[in-house]
Amino acid sequence: MNKRQSRVFAIACTAFAALAFLILTVDSHRQFGKLTNADKITPAVTAGKDVWHDNNCINCHTLFGEGAYYAPDLTKITKLRGAEYLRAYMRDPSRFYNEQTHRRLMPKQDLSEDDITNLIAFLDWVSNVDNQGWPPRPILVTGSSIPGMDLTAEQQAQPTQDQTAGLPPGARPVTEGDDPIALGQALFRSVAPACNACHSTAPGVNMAGPTLAGVAARAQALVGSSEYGGQAKDAAGYIRESIVTPSAYVVPGPMYSANGTSFMPNTYHEALNDEQVDQLVAFLGTLK
Amino acid sequence: MRYRSQEVAYWYFAVAMVLFGLQLVFGLLSAAKYLGPDPLLYILPFDVTKVIHTNLLIVWVLTGFMGATYWMVPDESRTELHSVKLAYIQLAIWVVMGVSAIVGYLFRFGTGNKLLEQPLPHKLAIVVVMLMFLYNIGRTIKKSGRFTTTEGVLLLGIASAAVLYLPALLHYENYTVSIFYRWWTIHLWVEGVWEMIQGGFLAYLLIRLSGADREVLEKWLYVIVGLVFFAGILGTAHHYYWVGVPAYWLPIGGFFSALEPVALVGMAIYAYSAMRRSGLAHPNALALHWTIGSAVFTLFGAGLLGLAHTWPSVNKWTHGTLITAMHGHAAFYGAYAMIVLAMISYALPSMTRDRAERGTSVGFWAFWLQLAGMFGMTLSFATAGIGQVYLERILGLGYLDTQLKIQVHFVMLMATASLFTVGVALFIWDFFRHRPHFEVADDEAQIARAELTERAPPG
Repeated sequence: MNKRQSRVFAIACTAFAALAFLILTVDSHRQFGKLTNADKITPAVTAGKDVWHDNNCINCHTLFGEGAYYAPDLTKITKLRGAEYLRAYMRDPSRFYNEQTHRRLMPKQDLSEDDITNLIAFLDWVSNVDNQGWPPRPILVTGSSIPGMDLTAEQQAQPTQDQTAGLPPGARPVTEGDDPIALGQALFRSVAPACNACHSTAPGVNMAGPTLAGVAARAQALVGSSEYGGQAKDAAGYIRESIVTPSAYVVPGPMYSANGTSFMPNTYHEALNDEQVDQLVAFLGTLK
Repeated sequence: MRYRSQEVAYWYFAVAMVLFGLQLVFGLLSAAKYLGPDPLLYILPFDVTKVIHTNLLIVWVLTGFMGATYWMVPDESRTELHSVKLAYIQLAIWVVMGVSAIVGYLFRFGTGNKLLEQPLPHKLAIVVVMLMFLYNIGRTIKKSGRFTTTEGVLLLGIASAAVLYLPALLHYENYTVSIFYRWWTIHLWVEGVWEMIQGGFLAYLLIRLSGADREVLEKWLYVIVGLVFFAGILGTAHHYYWVGVPAYWLPIGGFFSALEPVALVGMAIYAYSAMRRSGLAHPNALALHWTIGSAVFTLFGAGLLGLAHTWPSVNKWTHGTLITAMHGHAAFYGAYAMIVLAMISYALPSMTRDRAERGTSVGFWAFWLQLAGMFGMTLSFATAGIGQVYLERILGLGYLDTQLKIQVHFVMLMATASLFTVGVALFIWDFFRHRPHFEVADDEAQIARAELTERAPPG
């Protein structure tokens, strides 16, 4: 090959690749609308995107796996956490996580309520973009899909009455004044018997009890359907009923009940006070 | 120094050195925050230190590219620059742009769009500077009438870098579409036209240092450019994984980005065989270290470590983890930091007095400490990233719990980053400890000898 031929090689390679790339780009534009639900880009979504940009979120978090790697990926966050949880979290992250135990904390962003609403709308739009099913397994912020993996044997052996004991190294001790959702999240691990002994909050991870990921949405659908035979009028009512009187209505199937009696302990109406039940309902109600 | 106007390169290099030092300050701060807790949470949070860290990288490497070009073009075209004044005005605008952008970031004055955080006025200033630069270089070459292939590749690389910045100036309503065009700038820069620039410098250095035959080197330079673009342009698709674009980008990204290392293997063989065949015709052994080092480290960081996670079925699990940071650090350092340091090491002895032509011992310490440090940092990111992939992505442990379990790798990161910083500090000190001294080598014999080695390799 002489120099002239090698130059022709360079030009031909570049021209071929550039042409193919441009053709595919044109075709991608034909498909962007459908793949990204472009018709759902409402003014709130656009405003939320601006909140995302103005606060430099991408230089800690990732979205579609893109960004910095210092904070959790948020592509599907609205599938894992409901709007109320995210709203409470955005008001003050330090009420949910502790910098001493996590070794890092999100600074409070001082967003207006409108900003938060728009941001959640934007993140919800992101979560519905068709991105070839990524991530293949939900990326959790804390906790574990495999039960107990976040605790050492020694930590698991500690008594659960103390609210700070039995918490994974990543969990934040809570105090009275905290947001009810945060308190409910702590109760989920610390009541006796602990909810998380039988229920995970990771999608698809069923243990002795079914996963509670998405329980709020399922409760909503169930309460409105003709199958439902309990007393509750709304999703929160159904979750409350399931905690206090597990057998009031059982989902059909042999896995979690027999002869109309749920396998779930029916002791919580005594073990928990009303306030604690409220807190648990508040927490579970955010698991869309 | 054979042409008076080459002295402008010194001031570009000086600015690049200062910004390189600053980049490391913000890099170390960011790394320390991985260990936490962070006493600067409300003064200088991670997002600020990180955006400054990456933006300084882009600015100092581009400053180095421009300085190195101003050094190389007079040599290649055998003429003075068209306008020294224009080159200094360009540098002044560039510095004002860079410094004000960094200060702005401290107050979160940026677009919040990954790697394109520069506010619009700054983006426009970048375009203006690029145009001034291209004009000056273009006029210089036109004046001389001597236009080498090496120069042509370099110039086309810089011109394309300017053109590819244009999509970054536009606004996109759809977040996925804005991601799509972000990589037209960033990917096609670093895995396209910047590699052309690197190839141009590499060819220049090899011709000067090894005395290898220009015709042969330039022929292979074309082949490398062809391979870079054949794989690199469609390789953009590896940034299109999982972001909401059509699914056909997945196999295209896998196939073409797996081909990307071919050009890098070519570049490493190219550098090595030039040395083997023609030996060392020039006394500057330090510049030679940086030159060969750049070719080899690029192959490792960009080629091998890029290949490690570029296949879609692997990337599905590693996407958005510290594995990306592993690849990013080694690739950028090998390909772009090292080639700029090579050009500086080559040019520096003739721009200062009392400096040994073969390189100082401080210079060699700087080389090996940086190499060891960056290799260690790469390993730290790799081990942290592998841990993260298995715990968080495969077993499903929460993000925050996972980060706590891989803390030890962040300790290693800090330790090796400190080693790297010592290496960089030595390089910067070595750069500034001799005052600049610009004397045109008017020794006819010396010029004749230089041109002779260029034409006919010894032995």
